[in-house]
Amino acid sequence: MDINGKIFKNFQSRVERLKTQNGPDKVKKQHDKGKLHARERIALLFDKNSFEELDAFVTSATPDTGFGKIDEAFGDGVVIGYGRINGRLVYVYSQDFTVMGGSLGSVHARKIMKVQDLALRVGAPIIGLIDSGGARIQEGVASLSGYAGIFHRNVQSSGIIPQISVILGPAAGGAVYSPALTDFVFMTKKTSYMFVTGPDVVREVLNEEVSFEDLGGADIHAKKSGVAHFIYEDEENTLLAVKKLLSFFPSNNLENPPFVETNDKKDRIDEKLRAIVPDDTNKPYDIKLIIDLLIDKGTFFEVSEHFASNLVVGLARLNGKAIGIVANQPKVLAGVLDINSSLKGARFIRFCDAFNIPLLTLEDVPGFLPGIDQEHNGLIKHGAKLLFAYSEASVPKITVILRKSYGGAFCVMNSKNLGGDYNFAWPSAEIAVMGPEGAVSILYRRELAKSDNPKQLKKELAAKYRQEIANPYIADEKGYIDEVIDPSETRKKLIIAFESLENKHIEPPARKHANIPL
Amino acid sequence: MKKIKSILIANRGEIAIRISETAKKMGIKVYGIKTLKEPSAYYLQFMDEIIDFTEIISDIPEFLDIDRLIYSIKEYNIDAVHPGYGYLAENPYFAQKCIDEKIIFIGPTPDAIYKLGNKTIAKQIASRNNVPLLEGSNGNIKNPKHAKQVAEKIGYPVILKAASGGGGRGMRIVESVDQIEKMFKMAQNESEKAFSDSSVFMEKYVKNPRHIEFQILADHYGNIIHLGERECSIQRKHQKLIEESPSSALNDDLREKMGNSAIQIAKASNYRNAGTVEFLLDEFGDYYFMEMNTRIQVEHPVTEMVTGLDLIEWQIKIAQGEKLTMTQQEIKFNGWAIECRINAEDVQSGFSPYLGTIEKIQVSKGKTCRFDTGVTDGSIVTPYFDSMLAKLICTGETREKAITNTLAALNKLYIKGIKTTIPFHKAVLNNPKFISGDISTSFIEKDMKKLYFQEDDEELIAAFWATINHNAELDKENETYVDYEKGKIITPWLLNKRLKSM
Amino acid sequence: MMFSKSKIKNQKFIACTSGKKKYEFINPKDLTIKSGKDKEPIEITSDKSGFVFITWKNKKYQVEIIDKNQNQYEIAVNGVTYSISVESPFSYKRKKYLDKNVPVSKIERIQAPMPGKIVEFLVEENQEIKAGDPLLILEAMKMQNEIISSITGKIKNINFGPEDNVMKDDILIEVEK
Repeated sequence: MDINGKIFKNFQSRVERLKTQNGPDKVKKQHDKGKLHARERIALLFDKNSFEELDAFVTSATPDTGFGKIDEAFGDGVVIGYGRINGRLVYVYSQDFTVMGGSLGSVHARKIMKVQDLALRVGAPIIGLIDSGGARIQEGVASLSGYAGIFHRNVQSSGIIPQISVILGPAAGGAVYSPALTDFVFMTKKTSYMFVTGPDVVREVLNEEVSFEDLGGADIHAKKSGVAHFIYEDEENTLLAVKKLLSFFPSNNLENPPFVETNDKKDRIDEKLRAIVPDDTNKPYDIKLIIDLLIDKGTFFEVSEHFASNLVVGLARLNGKAIGIVANQPKVLAGVLDINSSLKGARFIRFCDAFNIPLLTLEDVPGFLPGIDQEHNGLIKHGAKLLFAYSEASVPKITVILRKSYGGAFCVMNSKNLGGDYNFAWPSAEIAVMGPEGAVSILYRRELAKSDNPKQLKKELAAKYRQEIANPYIADEKGYIDEVIDPSETRKKLIIAFESLENKHIEPPARKHANIPL
Repeated sequence: MKKIKSILIANRGEIAIRISETAKKMGIKVYGIKTLKEPSAYYLQFMDEIIDFTEIISDIPEFLDIDRLIYSIKEYNIDAVHPGYGYLAENPYFAQKCIDEKIIFIGPTPDAIYKLGNKTIAKQIASRNNVPLLEGSNGNIKNPKHAKQVAEKIGYPVILKAASGGGGRGMRIVESVDQIEKMFKMAQNESEKAFSDSSVFMEKYVKNPRHIEFQILADHYGNIIHLGERECSIQRKHQKLIEESPSSALNDDLREKMGNSAIQIAKASNYRNAGTVEFLLDEFGDYYFMEMNTRIQVEHPVTEMVTGLDLIEWQIKIAQGEKLTMTQQEIKFNGWAIECRINAEDVQSGFSPYLGTIEKIQVSKGKTCRFDTGVTDGSIVTPYFDSMLAKLICTGETREKAITNTLAALNKLYIKGIKTTIPFHKAVLNNPKFISGDISTSFIEKDMKKLYFQEDDEELIAAFWATINHNAELDKENETYVDYEKGKIITPWLLNKRLKSM
Repeated sequence: MMFSKSKIKNQKFIACTSGKKKYEFINPKDLTIKSGKDKEPIEITSDKSGFVFITWKNKKYQVEIIDKNQNQYEIAVNGVTYSISVESPFSYKRKKYLDKNVPVSKIERIQAPMPGKIVEFLVEENQEIKAGDPLLILEAMKMQNEIISSITGKIKNINFGPEDNVMKDDILIEVEK
């Protein structure tokens, strides 16, 4: 081809136009709002020079309605394509707020659906970088149907390829449901919002004044609603964290998670583990200290850190291999299980199960949270979700009982008969139908009623109960746990046990799908 | 009186260790108490035998559980009990109970503890013996109205104090009439919580006074001597932070006058063993009796450093009936000693308690530097106890020398894992007013612009340290090699099963 | 203490303090800090007990990371702590923009500074308060501590009652500005 000829010039002029379209003025516009440009985000996410763009030159559809104006720009407000992250193929779509506010028109939607289809076809993860004003009003129903198409593909891909949504700007109305359908949601503080109806509608309908930040900011979704799994101060840290999260996932549900070499010894004995759980059963401690000592140094990546903190969930590596950790947090509400922590745990377990990530459960739970509020809001059905998720999960499952393991919570937290592969206990474990104080008030009701000093008697009986009943040895002797282990050797034990389960497989019963109590 | 062969130390932390060291030196067997709140505490390493209280189910804190303590002393056939400071040290009921059970209580008689512990009675003793006093309510304040009346009589500012208090709890200064009601209620409330006694009295509040106290030793044979003064003016909310001996405010005449007053109080109350008489000293050299503490004090080491005496040893000797072997004239004071209390407190946020684990503690002790500690590497700072961890005591021939030595020691004292009062001490010891000896109990509020010491470039160094660590972490994230290929290697057996069940 | 050299060249970081001061570092791993016009070398040493020291311009500082959350660091130097956020040139720009343009939340949450037991609340819901007013008394380490309001506003919510035990950082009171 003659590079000075008309044919090549035509091609070049289009490339030039695309470049000017994303020129410094557009980038500045985003920067001035404290945000990065759609293309800068992609550059940060992917390995150098590895990104291949698709459909860069598509033009927007002409609206049937005749309302409003359409920008004459290439791409219809979204950049799509694929590239390598840490050397692995990943698909991406990145909404461009500088083109019609990143609004979702029919072409825009078609582009997103295209990468969704491609990702599912080749079994590769997909990341959505969301920064959009919502549906493109000018295009009417064409835009809405675009959303539906995206939702449908989200659902079709669910459990087959990892899907991650990164909210870097507004996501309002219908747009919020695509992130909600994906596996993990990231948000950036102060510049990203998610809500079904915005502050204006809230003001009109309810006459209540609320700011964007207080209605659907990153903090609210991380702490109160639990919609956002991760929040970060700025976009660079957010995108770095996306990369980090992705490093724990396989590309699809047939593969195993990737491996990261560690110089942490396989048989490292840690004496400190013996000292963290206090002798006083009512004393709190930080479960994360224990997690950090068990796993490969510095690999814990917590999920939903600020939501339902009484249950800690997160990903980590054990001898280089990814595991999912579910652990009661005695530091918060004594580690009790409630509605929110059940939901958080159940969702995380199902994700790990779908993507062949083995599960480690660290148990120190006084039971389910009593209370009218909890019962009336359906603690039964929500607690059942956690139970369901544990029971259904067919990945290798190991539990270590650190201290309290009482009643229903003992069953729920991956007990042996729920399908736990190996259940270990530390010598500090207390396994019983209920806590000593509760048990003795039932068992010795009469004696206590007669006593002159029931408070003292109750304490003495409880101490006796604790010593004689609430220990791990009865369960050990009856085979309800596999072994009582020295805390300092837990890491070694876990690595060996998980290795033995590498080929674990459970034939699922033939059914369309199970009916989790939603 | 029989010779003591064994002692139960009914206390924890540094004082338990301090007592144990002297007792062991004297060939006495020491027993300590292990509690559920800190079952692996450092002090337990210094005991010959440990009595386990961890199984005890009681709402009463271990070191206040009189019945249990007495029971244990009998069970182990222990001769004596040393209460340290705080807890049961000034509880006349406990001291009496010991006598009833034929246990030697290392401290004064129950009668003396009672009389001197009740500030109203203590003041009566002082006034009867012509020891100067501050004007006050002469008894407890009954109600807010009464408080208002008395305050008007003696004039604002006034101070409200718990009748059976100490250590700053239950104390409130009232500047004007509009605060009196609120402050009275708070003082009562706090007093009730801390001492199970809501009685509160009032006295005139002296601005900018110095806190001067005299160490007393008295035997069973009427011999009473004082071991000089300690100045404890560096205090915050009535909690002492730095103590020294001698005081730069006293000359020999005043020392003799105040020392004699202290001895007068001890004599009048038939005092035995070690005790401390506290005075306020105003700008004009007039002093007022405050109270007498009937126990060993936290700050006793500064007296030990300048007199060369072991106060715990003398407490034990007196308790087993020995006579004082030195006269007042024979007591010589050598050099200067300064004590800094190392507390687990965050000076930058108003001295709030700082909890956590002491990862490492490093101190360079030496000829001029003594370190009395209750903690070691790995010790946990819990909310259950007082925030004081250790005491750094340094000496020098002169006050200047002592200050130089203290600063040198503070600069080599490193504690990792928690925040402490070290930066505060550095700030005080670098303060020109402190160096010149011009101090008062309001030194911290009035004469310190900044409560903690900072080198000029400290913030820059902090910024650099954060940045280089962040840089290293980002590099690590970017350079981590994720081996995806390894994840794809699945045994045919498993892959086959996986495929089939899809 | 070893820091391997960065593969990336001319990396610029901006460290911001809580007092809104900023320090710029280019390639910190080169172990120099600018002092006026000159670059002064920095030496990082650690002893066998695990204490880390920085020596710069003949002065030795003990440094420690107390806490870290993403790019927010709490650093202790000689026992005094500093809150530092480490920014890239872009995130610094973003921070400045947000400080200026994004309205801060209207609700101030008063958190428990330490674990303890609530003795009593000195305010009621809907009560107007001003900065410096005592809100409640919290008992910890055997001391009663007055918790003081840092802002002027109206009490929106009181989340606990007397005698309740609270953990550090529990939200005790919410104040509407």
